[in-house]
Amino acid sequence: MDIDSLSKKSKEILNTSDSLDDLEIAQRSLLGKSGEVTLLLKKLGSLPAGERKAAGRNLNILKNKIQDLFQKRKAELKELEANKKLQRDSIDVTLPGRTGKRGTIHPVTQTIDEISSFFTSKGFSVASGPEAESDYYNFEALNIPEDHPAKDMHDTFYLDNGDLLRTHTSPVQVRVMENNEPPLRIICPGRVYRKDSDLTHTPMFHQIEGLLIEEGTSFAQLKGLLEDFISDFFGSDTEIRFRPSYFPFTEPSAEVDIRWKKGWLEILGCGMVHPNVLEMSGIDSKKYTGFAFGLGPERIAMLKHDIPDLRAFFENDMRFLKQF
Amino acid sequence: MQFSENWLKEFIDIEVSTQELCEQLTMLGLEVDGYQEYKSKLTGRDSIIKLDITPNRGDCFSIIGIARELSALHGKKFLYPKTSFIKATLKSPIEVDICEESPRYVGRYVEGIDLKKTVSPLIKERLKMSDVRSIDPIVDITNYVLLETGQPLHAFDAKKIQNGLSVRFAKNNEKIKLLDEQDLKLASDCLVITDRKKPVAFAGIMGGLDSGISNSTKSIYLESAFFKPEVVRGKARRYGLQTDASVRFERGVDYNLQSLAIERASELINEFMDIDFAPVQLFEKKKSIPKTKKVSFKLDNTRKLLGVETKDSEMMTMLKRLGMKVSSINKQGKVSVEVPSWRFDISIEADLIEEISRLIGYDKLPSTSLASSNRETDDSLHQVTRSSLTSMGYNEAITYSFVDEKEASLFDDKSNMVFVKNPISQNMSVMRTSLLPGLLNTFSYNYNRGEESVKLFEIGSTFTKGKKIKQKEKLAGLISGKASDIHWDGDETEYDFYNLKGDLEVLLNQGNYSFVKGKISFLHPGKTADILRNKKNIGFLGAINPNISNILDLKQEVFYFEIDLDALPKSELKKYSKYSKFPIAQRDLAFLVNKSTTISDVIALAKEKSGKDLKEIKLFDVYEGKGIPENKKSVAFSLYWQSMKGTLTDEEVDKTVQSISFFLSKKINAELRS
Repeated sequence: MDIDSLSKKSKEILNTSDSLDDLEIAQRSLLGKSGEVTLLLKKLGSLPAGERKAAGRNLNILKNKIQDLFQKRKAELKELEANKKLQRDSIDVTLPGRTGKRGTIHPVTQTIDEISSFFTSKGFSVASGPEAESDYYNFEALNIPEDHPAKDMHDTFYLDNGDLLRTHTSPVQVRVMENNEPPLRIICPGRVYRKDSDLTHTPMFHQIEGLLIEEGTSFAQLKGLLEDFISDFFGSDTEIRFRPSYFPFTEPSAEVDIRWKKGWLEILGCGMVHPNVLEMSGIDSKKYTGFAFGLGPERIAMLKHDIPDLRAFFENDMRFLKQF
Repeated sequence: MQFSENWLKEFIDIEVSTQELCEQLTMLGLEVDGYQEYKSKLTGRDSIIKLDITPNRGDCFSIIGIARELSALHGKKFLYPKTSFIKATLKSPIEVDICEESPRYVGRYVEGIDLKKTVSPLIKERLKMSDVRSIDPIVDITNYVLLETGQPLHAFDAKKIQNGLSVRFAKNNEKIKLLDEQDLKLASDCLVITDRKKPVAFAGIMGGLDSGISNSTKSIYLESAFFKPEVVRGKARRYGLQTDASVRFERGVDYNLQSLAIERASELINEFMDIDFAPVQLFEKKKSIPKTKKVSFKLDNTRKLLGVETKDSEMMTMLKRLGMKVSSINKQGKVSVEVPSWRFDISIEADLIEEISRLIGYDKLPSTSLASSNRETDDSLHQVTRSSLTSMGYNEAITYSFVDEKEASLFDDKSNMVFVKNPISQNMSVMRTSLLPGLLNTFSYNYNRGEESVKLFEIGSTFTKGKKIKQKEKLAGLISGKASDIHWDGDETEYDFYNLKGDLEVLLNQGNYSFVKGKISFLHPGKTADILRNKKNIGFLGAINPNISNILDLKQEVFYFEIDLDALPKSELKKYSKYSKFPIAQRDLAFLVNKSTTISDVIALAKEKSGKDLKEIKLFDVYEGKGIPENKKSVAFSLYWQSMKGTLTDEEVDKTVQSISFFLSKKINAELRS
């Protein structure tokens, strides 16, 4: 076979190989031990001396050409193969991942955490106390004497050992005052109980109360703190109203309303701690003054999340819980 | 209390719209619950205003009380109701014997009552606007005067009173039939009005039926008394008899009001009946009438407490407008303030500061920012726990702390339980001793609404009977149903014991915890574990006992854990510990052991002989069945060693493996599989 036709043939078989294996075989059939080009090279010796040189040169050119072709085709095939592989390996990225769904924290707890986090940033620490309380801590120490009409505001559950279920978290304040020296800044979140059940009342609900006792504490500071809280929590454009109210354990007492939709909505109660309460807990009311405030996380969660029914909080319907 | 706006404006002449009036009242501390326009044929445009009066302001349960407040705010005089002296033409046949608890008692005998007459349309309209039912002309007048002045009045049928009246404490279990036809047995701390035979009224609360006005009444005895608040307090509540009178008496009725009220009533009766009056009779125990309270008041304290700059003179004017007598300022900057007879709520300086705040207006009080203090940083244990559990797919529930007694009894002995004496309903009558009843109810509630996969937790207190009630904070979790992380290319699986245990292992990732087989009556005997920390029991987990599931009609297997919250790891500062740079040697071992041997035993024994360089043992297979002799199981685990000092040689490791295998065979008859 002459070199020209061999060159043509080589080109053809290399370029038509469509797998790396075929390409290897094709290359071996040309340049392998018994490949056509190799055989021709071996035969060079038998050629007449005059032709040998030119034939040798041509064969070497052919050999190099074949090698180039081979490398080129090899690269092509590799790329082709890689692309095929990529196509094969493609997945549907819209299918869900393997880890399960995240759970949820109860909206009341979330609200308590949010409120707490505001007050802890102002130096208040979190305190807690028993829910089964004595009459002393729930009423007497808070300036609510036996049979006082103020007690009617608290429909109390009594327990068989004579204790009661706390009607507010204020007893925690008393316990903290008894056991610590001012200055004091605490908040007490927790469950409280009142014998009341209708559209807007559940027999158990939550409260967060705060207490600050320092020298020279003023109502102006209380007002400032609560204004900051409300603008932080409900937005700085929230309209706020302080108005006089009555709690046996504070004097002066106030209730705080925010403008909500068309009217005013009461969201917290507060006041300067009544001197009797300080004295009963062993704090010198001549030296220290303090203020206290209390709010209802359920009510605030209802406002924030547009929850229409208080009772939903304690039904624990998963369709409800999973929304928060 | 609700009332007609026009009525109020008869007593104080102020030019404000209904809405402004309501805002002013609210800002004075007399919260307006709402108002409603009313077209009166008698007085024209009117409104019904509804007030929520706080328990300290008994003095505002009347038109004149409210007018007095507005008068202080506006600095304008208000009027007292019109009375005129009515000449007596009769002698009273009734004398009243009073006691210290009713130190002022005013009475008047009236003849010529004609119950067929009716009060004026205006009185009728105003009673109606105050939501008071018209009954007969005498009761209507007493109610009208009550609303107007705040003084409760009572009218006895004079004919039915035998030989005069006396006020005294009831004898124990003394009986009385009240106007509402209720028979009461009174305790000896209840004050009664009696004639010579029997009680005729429950003082300050309600009159008796037998001595009350009836169709045949021709003469009456009007009572206008001051009963001390302490003696009335709590009684109405105790007997479930909240009345217009009791509400006022227990909060305090002005002790100087009695004569005015009886004159006012006389006047009104005289207007439409042809009547003969006996003189007004005044019975007093002077020593027991409350003394005028005097409060020493350092005016500057107002400025300090409120942060205002109000002048002394302005404050004194405000107090005077509220009906107080104020002395001149002494050298210490103090004044002595005499509290008016209608203000039972004022006794200390702070009370006076509140009065001044009200008149300044709470909205005008300044606000300042609070001096900063150190931020409290540590995330609470609760927050950390909640965040771990929610990341594992748990939803937080909050269930009631009181549960159904029957349900609670499935999980605990009644003798451990704290009962609510006055539960709101029978199924909330006992304090929970475990969070389980609440979470099981939540599970059923959701299951019945088609929720197939439930993963819940709760943090809350339990209550156990003891000398003192033992209150413990618990963390509980419940899982049941289809594993919520079921994948589209995997098999559908159901939650089982090991899902729950795995979650707990993540939760309790620090500290020395172990799980041992446990026994709890309401859990499945084969699927119960106690959780120990440093050998102390801190909780349990397991499957609900099928017998309990039957009783509660649980339709699928439920797994539950409960642990003491304070047993959870507190986040603490981590200290660096050194680790080896040398290569790890690994061996996989498989043993045949008895089926009854627990894996934790096998691992513990292997550990015992693994030497100090052992880093970890990982269980990778537990198998029983085909190819394994009956009563046996195959346990396979990998052991990893690493020395701090150098590379471990094969010989060293092989020697350890031999000793493990020898030890296991000796101790539990384990057989090394090749």
